[in-house]
Amino acid sequence: MIGLEHYLIVAAALFVTGIFGIFLNRKNVIILLMSIELMLLSVNINLVAFSAYQGNLTGQVFTLFVLTVAAAEAAIGLAILVCFFRNRGTIDVEDVNVMKG
Amino acid sequence: MESIILFAPLIGALLCGFGWRIMGETAAQSVSTALLFVACVLSWIVFLGFDGETRFTHILPWIESGSLATDWSIRLDRLTAIMLVVITTVSALVHLYSFGYMAHDENFDEATESYRPRFFAYLSFFTFAMLTLVTADNLVQMFFGWEGVGLASYLLIGFYFRKPSANAAAIKAFIVNRVGDFGFALGIFALFFMVDSISFTDIFAAAPDLAEREVAFLWTTWPAIELVCLLLFVGAMGKSAQFILHTWLPDAMEGPTPVSALIHAATMVTAGVFLVCRMSPLMEFADWTQSFIVYIGAITAFFAATVGLVQNDIKRVIAYSTCSQLGYMFVAAGVGVYSVAMFHLFTHAFFKGMLFLGAGSVITGMHHEQDMRNYGGLRTRMPYTFWSMMIGTLAITGVGIPLTGIGFAGFLSKDAVIESTFAGGTDAATFAFWALVVAAAFTSFYSWRLLFMTFFGEPRGDRHAHEHVHESPASMVVPLAALAVGAVFAGMVWYKPFFGSEQKVQEWFGIASGEKHAQVLLIGAARAAEEQNDASGEDSGSGAAALPGQGAIYMAPDNSVLHDAHYVPAWVKLSPFFAMLIGFALAFLFYVRRTDLPAKLAANQAPLYQFLLNKWYFDELYEHALVRPAKAIGRFLWQRGDLGAIDGFLNGVAMGVVPFFTRLAGRAQSGYIFTYAFWMVLGILVFITWMTIAGGQ
Amino acid sequence: MQTGDLSIILPEIVLSVFAMAGLIAGAYGGRDRLGPAMIWTTSALFAALAAWIGLQGAGTATAFGEMFTDDAFARFAKVTILLSAAAVLLMGKGYMARCDLIRFEYPLLIALAAVGMMVMVSASDLMALYMGLELQSLSLYVIAALRRDSVRSTEAGLKYFVLGALSSGLLLFGASLVYGFAGTTGFAGIFEAVQGRAPVGLLIGLSLVIAGLAFKISAAPFHMWTPDVYEGAPTSVTAFFATAPKIAAMALLARVVYGAFGGIVGDWQQILAALSVASMFLGAVAAIGQRNIKRLMAYSSIAHMGFALMGLAAGTVAGVEAMLIYLVIYVTMNVGAFAFILSMERDGAPVVEISALSLYSRRSPTRALAMLVLLFSLAGVPPLVGFFAKYSVLLAAVEAGLVWLAVLGVIASVIGAFYYIRIVYIMYFGDEESELDAGGSTVLASFLVVSAALMLFGLWNLAGIEGPAAAAASTLVR
Repeated sequence: MIGLEHYLIVAAALFVTGIFGIFLNRKNVIILLMSIELMLLSVNINLVAFSAYQGNLTGQVFTLFVLTVAAAEAAIGLAILVCFFRNRGTIDVEDVNVMKG
Repeated sequence: MESIILFAPLIGALLCGFGWRIMGETAAQSVSTALLFVACVLSWIVFLGFDGETRFTHILPWIESGSLATDWSIRLDRLTAIMLVVITTVSALVHLYSFGYMAHDENFDEATESYRPRFFAYLSFFTFAMLTLVTADNLVQMFFGWEGVGLASYLLIGFYFRKPSANAAAIKAFIVNRVGDFGFALGIFALFFMVDSISFTDIFAAAPDLAEREVAFLWTTWPAIELVCLLLFVGAMGKSAQFILHTWLPDAMEGPTPVSALIHAATMVTAGVFLVCRMSPLMEFADWTQSFIVYIGAITAFFAATVGLVQNDIKRVIAYSTCSQLGYMFVAAGVGVYSVAMFHLFTHAFFKGMLFLGAGSVITGMHHEQDMRNYGGLRTRMPYTFWSMMIGTLAITGVGIPLTGIGFAGFLSKDAVIESTFAGGTDAATFAFWALVVAAAFTSFYSWRLLFMTFFGEPRGDRHAHEHVHESPASMVVPLAALAVGAVFAGMVWYKPFFGSEQKVQEWFGIASGEKHAQVLLIGAARAAEEQNDASGEDSGSGAAALPGQGAIYMAPDNSVLHDAHYVPAWVKLSPFFAMLIGFALAFLFYVRRTDLPAKLAANQAPLYQFLLNKWYFDELYEHALVRPAKAIGRFLWQRGDLGAIDGFLNGVAMGVVPFFTRLAGRAQSGYIFTYAFWMVLGILVFITWMTIAGGQ
Repeated sequence: MQTGDLSIILPEIVLSVFAMAGLIAGAYGGRDRLGPAMIWTTSALFAALAAWIGLQGAGTATAFGEMFTDDAFARFAKVTILLSAAAVLLMGKGYMARCDLIRFEYPLLIALAAVGMMVMVSASDLMALYMGLELQSLSLYVIAALRRDSVRSTEAGLKYFVLGALSSGLLLFGASLVYGFAGTTGFAGIFEAVQGRAPVGLLIGLSLVIAGLAFKISAAPFHMWTPDVYEGAPTSVTAFFATAPKIAAMALLARVVYGAFGGIVGDWQQILAALSVASMFLGAVAAIGQRNIKRLMAYSSIAHMGFALMGLAAGTVAGVEAMLIYLVIYVTMNVGAFAFILSMERDGAPVVEISALSLYSRRSPTRALAMLVLLFSLAGVPPLVGFFAKYSVLLAAVEAGLVWLAVLGVIASVIGAFYYIRIVYIMYFGDEESELDAGGSTVLASFLVVSAALMLFGLWNLAGIEGPAAAAASTLVR
């Protein structure tokens, strides 16, 4: 029987994978966007699992909001990325360090 | 009217100090001087029209803090009225005098530097502070004036700020005064601690209670009244340059001579005497402290007179003379005849102010030569100055017709002091009596010595300087004349209300009225009544005589010195006169007849001469016992404590530790997204771990 | 959904409709020619809304099933946000014009961010919180990268976006845990469910939520984006970043910790205190090494947020009141400081080097003096108002028993005073004559002078903000 804890473990694993994706990846900014999606989706798993477990719909409504916002976020992220690429000619994470100190 | 008197000098100081650029130097000087003369005229009106009843003029609420509530208001009683006249008169004349004296000054570049408005502004500010001191109706206000005159004194002693000696003297005056002021401040604290008020009215009313109480201070418990009075007297000692704390006064002569006349002869240095008189309702209950005051005053009078015998700087002679005369005043206050102390203060202001101004006139005439050994024969060249100095000398030495009320001001007041002292009757008073009589002889000697060396004999020293000697301008001579009038007549006119007639004294100082007055008059009866009181209880005792704080001064029912002083033996009354004659005769012999004698005597008695010339080695003693250790401690705290420990630590942090972390923070800010994300995740990890361990169940 | 609900969020609706209508008008109508007019209109609308909200009566109203709360606290924060946004928008106009950045989207994005911030401070449900936060963040990501042809500006946008998304993820994950353990997303429900003791899962959720919000207020160690974004973004945008969003995020944080987790003060107090200390010290220490005044202001804002957090960490009504007062004063000072920075130009081009200010006092004494007042106030030197801001939070911390926190705060402010006063030193005692232009727009000068004057003359009962702040604080803390 698959219980709540299994969902939570999967969600946590996905979340941590997403986080690691952000600070271990040094190559491509697109991968960062994917990692962010991964984190948000793991949250969705969490919310849906809790919602089903508790028998109220709040979590699922929340999930829909998160999905919507995630889409907007991805759009804006890609737009900024395109702008950056035009100026810098690269989207390597290691090249995003003009400003520091 | 009192408010105008009080604030006219302040306005003058502000206008002169800040406004001279707009209205010009001469106008600024004139404005401050004119305002002073206005204050002076009003003071005389107040003084002559005053009826003895204490009046209060409220000016503004000042401090409200907890149970400390202080208003800025003027307390006008006889003491205040006397001081108003003394201060404004001398100050106004000194302002006028300074027009001439400060007209040219080699210490400043007259083309580029405007020192005159500054000088006048300081003088006016000093006058304001001194008036604040004497018009105060509470201790804090008085302390404000007290510190204000200290500041003005510091500024004026160090007026020639290019001279290292002037700066050193200013600092010395300031520091020595700090010692006294510390005592004064402690006294105020003690009074506030015990009475819970700093208003004179409340304090005086509480005096009988204080006499019963004890208070813990330092290592032991003290009778409250003695402690308070002693602390206040320490303040007075500092300001009035009494023995132990006297060292600053002779050095203060580094200031311009008008300053010496105003601050260091006529007014500020007498603030201590004024304080003791003002606090007479407390002092009357503090027998031990009164004896102490008598001893200190007598020692000062004697000590300063001995030193004055051998000094060669004209101003220093007068400075020691001032110191000595202040001792007289304290002795009078100490034996309980405050009116006589004020009398001597009053007359002294005239003749000592005049002596100083006369000396200033001589100094300008002699092109800033101050050594009397280089004077001589100035009588004909500076006649006005000579005659005024002569009057001053006659006054200070106490010339008059014995056993009558006729004589120069100093004659009457000094004799009153000496007679009162003899009447004091205690051990302290007996000691003081002999000390004062001897000091009177010394006073006579050094005063005549000064006069003879300056104005008689052959011109000595730089021939060139003597050829250019000239009489001083009118602005300097007129004040001398005005003060001369005071020096001649002040004693005779006001002899009765200050000393001569007990009834007049009572009325004049507003001490008591009606039937109480009669009771006090009959001292013997009052004594008897008091003996009864001891038996019947204290309640009736306080009603029998004037209450503390009722008039300007308070004399306890058992204080009959004023009365007794009128019945001293004739030889006592004559003794100061003969002392004066002896001093005159010796001076005449030494400095007119046999001018070789002084040098022989000095050679004969070399150790004594050196001892006196070096002012009993007080400066050397303090240098070794206090100044050097203090400097050593200061240097240790500065080099080791401040520079080593504190600065070292802070510099270490500021230049070592902080920049280290700054570099670290800069390096952490690598510019890479993954670093930033890593720090965030690290933060989260710490928080979650912390929460799990500390908060979770 | 009822009309009553809509009437409560009417200001937000008005602002949203205005923003969308403006977008349509811009897209189909005048495009960038509308820019200047749009800036003026938006500012005016902000001010009008602030007046409207500020003059609303007292009382508390909720809408949409208690997702949205309109109370004294929300109104206080909204008025501050709208006024500062209006001020910054006006100040930035000249700068944007010279940099050829007046696009009609700019004021509209700020309007949308303002809507997001208003929702944030009114949110009383995790969902409303998230929506408001994202609306604000997404708008800010875009305006950070507004200067599309600049590497720095787009890099700032990118960094802000990636890290902001990460923080959103953290916050969301925390929110899901809170929801899971409390059984509800409403703050009131969470408050009832969490009293005294809380399960570990919920505490982890709380930590994550706080971390997500700490990112928005740039509290250390979630501050790393701040200097880079402040430096890269156009200065007028930086001025905006430093003001309104900080208030919104602080207010939101206060609402979350008090409204939802007011039953377990002891648990979040430690986290906030740790954030506070880290921010104060990092802000003070790292700013010393800066040569770019915008980066310096970034670290300055980090340090100031540390102080505001100290008030929050006190966990008392007085603490919240102190925090609100601190924020208002902080915003006022920053408006003035950025008015000065926006006016730093050489030959018409913006300058951000601190060294360029050398002997600026000779070139423009009034501005230098006003900036001196502001810098001393920022450093917390009495008797300026900035001192009283610090004093009130320190007092709140001491009264709440957090003496160690207050002591550390004092030490940090001493270290921090160095870099403010160094700017004064350079302005008055530098070695070479400043090359900056002397003139400048009157709008900036007046903002600068008014702000400085407030620092001097606000001593009288802090210009009357204490009463509303106290009322706001008492409605929040239960």
